[in-house]
Amino acid sequence: MIAPVMKMTKSANPLYRWETRHKLIGLLAIVFSFAFIRDPLLLPPMLAVALAVYLYSRLPLTYYWSRVRLPGIFLLVLALILPFGAGSTILARLGPLEMKLEGLQAVLLISVKFLSIYALMLVLFAGTPPYKLAGSLRKMGLPALLTEMIVFTDRYIYQLAGDLRRTQVAAGLRGFSGRSLTALKTLAYIVGTLLVRSHDQSERVFQAMTLRGYGREQAVFNVDQPVFGDRLALAFALLVALTFILLQHIFF
Amino acid sequence: MHIPDGIIPVSVALGGYAAAGGMTWLSLATIKKKFKNPREIIPRASLLTAVFFIAALIHIPVPPTSVHLILSGLVGVILGWFAFPAILVGLFFQAVMFQHGGLTTLGVNACLMGIPALLAGALFRLRALSGAKSRVFDAVLAFTGSFLAIAAGAFIAAMLLTYTVPAPLGAAAERTAIISLGVAHLPVALLEGVFTVLLVLFLWRVKPELLEMEEK
Repeated sequence: MIAPVMKMTKSANPLYRWETRHKLIGLLAIVFSFAFIRDPLLLPPMLAVALAVYLYSRLPLTYYWSRVRLPGIFLLVLALILPFGAGSTILARLGPLEMKLEGLQAVLLISVKFLSIYALMLVLFAGTPPYKLAGSLRKMGLPALLTEMIVFTDRYIYQLAGDLRRTQVAAGLRGFSGRSLTALKTLAYIVGTLLVRSHDQSERVFQAMTLRGYGREQAVFNVDQPVFGDRLALAFALLVALTFILLQHIFF
Repeated sequence: MHIPDGIIPVSVALGGYAAAGGMTWLSLATIKKKFKNPREIIPRASLLTAVFFIAALIHIPVPPTSVHLILSGLVGVILGWFAFPAILVGLFFQAVMFQHGGLTTLGVNACLMGIPALLAGALFRLRALSGAKSRVFDAVLAFTGSFLAIAAGAFIAAMLLTYTVPAPLGAAAERTAIISLGVAHLPVALLEGVFTVLLVLFLWRVKPELLEMEEK
């Protein structure tokens, strides 16, 4: 799921060598500053910053397109509804429908914000494996229980995805097509079987882990130490974020 | 039922993070009180979180299309107080792996799925009234909890989307939007209710202790 992207981004690109905590804070600050924007005049600079970061990350544009398509459907629905449902200034009449200025502006604002934040989200997660994110979040104060849940879940997801695939193949070989509502019972049993198997496995895993010392000491998460370049990049990212917030509040 | 980035105002997004933080704290504090060694339960809770994450990828046919399940009610039924952290972790992985759901809206999404999940879990714990011995009572509680979890989540999402969209909708359009979103989620809520009942009855026969994780 994430492995091909990780390979793709294993390069000398500084964005992927940026220490995870600094990268998280820096990119999240920019993301939230984008969320602050309400004025259409700030949309082009926002899009430019997102595009610059994305291009600098050297992630292919095809990757962006392949990822944005599904959540983009939600955007498409809004784009069809808002121009005709929101606002009061009528721009054009299409039969019984009235296209309104405020609705169109809202669609533009939402779309550009969504697409820009999405680009930064791809950059943030494409080059950072979940266990690294979890370790960094722990260092930043995330409760230990939650951090351990993230690390364990990361460990199990791939294994369970394989289990599910094998179960579905086996069900298919027995003639299960899953194309009608009557498949619900079989699908519930497949998930039930997965739950039972996982539960039994979790008992064995816990016993094995306890034997190896799990639970006696707090879990340790190794994180990279930041260097001057990491701090400089963070300062730059915070400056960009602050600029957007100030521009929104002072000038618009 | 995910609210993507860019739609809700930043004040609501930050409020969502604050509420999610509060709910996580409450869940973890309760877990620490309930279990002598909460770390004992982490591998199991994580494995079950992963199961729910994977199960939500299964598409259920609803001719002429198909839907994927949300399973927040089921998470509440099986995981109890672990439901909120589990949903938070699940949403985190959806964002990391598939970029679904949004970054700024992670807190809001966690609340609109996690709080109804906790309520579904609390409702299912009422099975103790029958001594946890009635399959029919368990099925009714599972269906009600799961149905309401989706319905409540969809209602909160509809309210948030309608009242925070950056353009005035007008009273009639707001009402239509909320009703439309609610009606659109009705089949999913019904499916989830039936799915949860089928699964609870399966566990009743095969592994009843999975329905009693919190009572352990």
